Amino acid sequence: MKFRSLIIKNIFRNKSRSILAIIGIAIGAAAILGLGLVTDSLASSTQQALTTGAADFSVLPSSFGGHGSGGGFGGGSGGGFGGSSAFNGSSGATFVSAGQTIDQSTLNSIQQMPGVETAAGVLRSATELNGTTQPLTLLGIDSQDLSLDDVQITNGSAFTSSNQIILGSTAATGLNKTIGDQLTFDNQTFIVVGIYETGDFMSDRGAILSLSTLQNLTNTTGVSQILVKASNGTSPTSLSSQITQNYTNLTTSTSLSGFNRMNNGIQIIESGSWAITLIALLVAGVMVVATMMKSVSDRTREIGVLKAVGWNKRRILALIIGESMILASIATVIGLIIGVGAVEVLISSHILNGIHIALSLNLVLEAVGVALFLGIVGGIYPAYRASRLAPTEALRYE
Amino acid sequence: MSNENIVKIENLIKRYDQAGVIALDGINLEIKKGEFVSIMGPSGSGKSTLLNMIGALDQADEGSIQVSGQNLMEKKDFSSFRSKEIGFIFQLHNLIPNLTASENVQIPMLQTNNSDEEMVKRATELLGSVNLGNRVDQVPTKLSGGERQRIAIARALVNHPSIILADEPTGALDSKMGDIILELLREIHEKENMTLILVTHEEYVAKKADRIISMMDGKITSENCTL
Repeated sequence: MKFRSLIIKNIFRNKSRSILAIIGIAIGAAAILGLGLVTDSLASSTQQALTTGAADFSVLPSSFGGHGSGGGFGGGSGGGFGGSSAFNGSSGATFVSAGQTIDQSTLNSIQQMPGVETAAGVLRSATELNGTTQPLTLLGIDSQDLSLDDVQITNGSAFTSSNQIILGSTAATGLNKTIGDQLTFDNQTFIVVGIYETGDFMSDRGAILSLSTLQNLTNTTGVSQILVKASNGTSPTSLSSQITQNYTNLTTSTSLSGFNRMNNGIQIIESGSWAITLIALLVAGVMVVATMMKSVSDRTREIGVLKAVGWNKRRILALIIGESMILASIATVIGLIIGVGAVEVLISSHILNGIHIALSLNLVLEAVGVALFLGIVGGIYPAYRASRLAPTEALRYE
Repeated sequence: MSNENIVKIENLIKRYDQAGVIALDGINLEIKKGEFVSIMGPSGSGKSTLLNMIGALDQADEGSIQVSGQNLMEKKDFSSFRSKEIGFIFQLHNLIPNLTASENVQIPMLQTNNSDEEMVKRATELLGSVNLGNRVDQVPTKLSGGERQRIAIARALVNHPSIILADEPTGALDSKMGDIILELLREIHEKENMTLILVTHEEYVAKKADRIISMMDGKITSENCTL
C-alpha cells in the first residue's frame, strides 16, 4: 500500500464530512473565480466599449495657433480650433482657420510608422450659413475614420460624396434640419445624410463633411490634427513619445480623465468583489479547519496507534495535510466549474447584458492557488494537534 | 532464551502530577532476550504503565530503563525505536476500519523504506501465518473479534521487532477465542525467539508465560517462574 492510497482512502472514510469540506472550499474557489470573472469581464467590456474605434491620442502642431474655446471634437483634449484668424473661402465665404496645420507628407509618414494602426487627418474650421449670422463649426474627416473621433451616427448614414454632410444632434435641432434637408454655406449646398452624437456639447453643435471637401473650401492642404490609434501590443504612451521625438514641431495630447474615472469605477467594483470573496474564503477556511479538526478528533485513538507502531510526527503531519490538500484539490475543480458555470448562466439569462466573458489563466491560477492555500492552512492546525498527541493519551481516548 | 537482558529497569518512578498518584514506585526488573513474561495485577496496579514505559509510549520521571540496549531516559524521539524494536498488541485491536486486513498489517511498514511489493508480500505471509490467508482483502468490520486480533498480531510482527508488548490481548474475546490467541502468541514467540511481554489481570492467562511478575500499587510484589 502506498502512503497516498491511505490518504485517499481516509478522505472517503467519512463521506458526509468530506463533502461538507469540499463544498466549503468549492464555494471559496467559485467565489474567487466567479466574482473575478465578472469584474474582469466588466472591466474588459467597459474598457472595450470606451475605447473601441476611438483614437488613443491626437497629434497637434506644437505651436498650436489660436486660443479657441478648447471644446472641439473628441479624440483628445487638444481639440478646438483657433479663433484668431479669418479668411475667404473658395467662393468668398468667411471661414475661421484652424491655425497652424500639419502637412500631408507628415500625415503620410506617421501613418507608416510601426505601431500605428490608424492615423487619420482632421481639419477643423467654422463658417456662417448663407444668409444668416448663424455660426457652424465644421470638421473634415474621412467617413471611415469617424469612429476615431467618437462620432456615433444616430440617424441616417455617413457621407459618401462631396455634397453630403452630417449634422450634430444639437445643430440639427437648432437649425431645424433633418435627413434629406439641405444646408448651404460658402454658396455650396450640402444634403444632410446623417445626424450624429459625440456626447460632447460643442462637437454636437457642428457638422462633419469629408476632409477633401473641407480642404477645398478652406484652400488648405494640411490638417489641424491627426488622430492616432496604436496597434494591439503597442503602448500608446511610448508611441506618443516616439512621435514627439521624431517630429519636434508636433505635440501629442491624450484625454485621461475619462479613463481615470473608468479605472476608479473598476477599482470600486474590484474592492467589492474582494470583500465578498474574503467573506467566502473565511467561511471556507473555517469549514476546512472544523472538518479536519473533527476528523482528527474522531481518529485520536487511531493516531495513537499510528504513533505506537512507529510513525513519526512528520508522517502524521503529512497524512493530515495530505488529506486536507486532496480535499482542497477536488473542491478547487468543482469550484472552478461552479464559478464559470454560474457566470455563463448569468450571461445566457441576460442578467449580465453586454459583458463579454474574459476568462484569463491568471484568474484561474489565482482561484486554484487560494483554494489550495486554504486547504493547506486549514489542515496545518489539526495536523499539528495530531502530531503533538501523546500516544498513551490518544490510546486511552474513547 | 539467552542470558542477555533485553529490558533492564532500575528504580523507575512515574508520577501523574495532576492526580498526585505514583503509578510506578521504584520498579527494578530484568527481562531476558527471548523470554515470555506476563505482568499481572489488578486495575491501577501500574502494569499497563510499566508496559508503556518499556514500549517508549510514555517516559518515566526517575530511574533508568534500557530496552534493546537503548537508554530510554536519554532519548527524545522514540518513533524510530518503536518502529524497529517494538510490536504492540492492544486489548481492542485498533485496526483502521476502511482498510483491508493486508493494508492494516502494512501500516507500520509505511514508516520504513520497503517497496510496495515487499510490503504486500510481507503482509500476505504474516496473515497466512496467523491463519488468515483467505481474509487478506477483507475489511475488519466483516471479520470476527478473534480474526481482528490475529490481524493486530500480524501488524505487530510486520517490522521484525525484538519485543512484542501485548496489553490484555484476550480481554475483549471469549475464553475459547482467547485461548486460540494465546496459543498463537506462544507459537510465534517460540518460532521467532521473540521476547513477549504480556499484561493481564487474569491468572490463567498469566500462567501461559515462562515468568509471572505480580504488581500492586505501582510496585512489583512477586516474580514467579511457572515452568
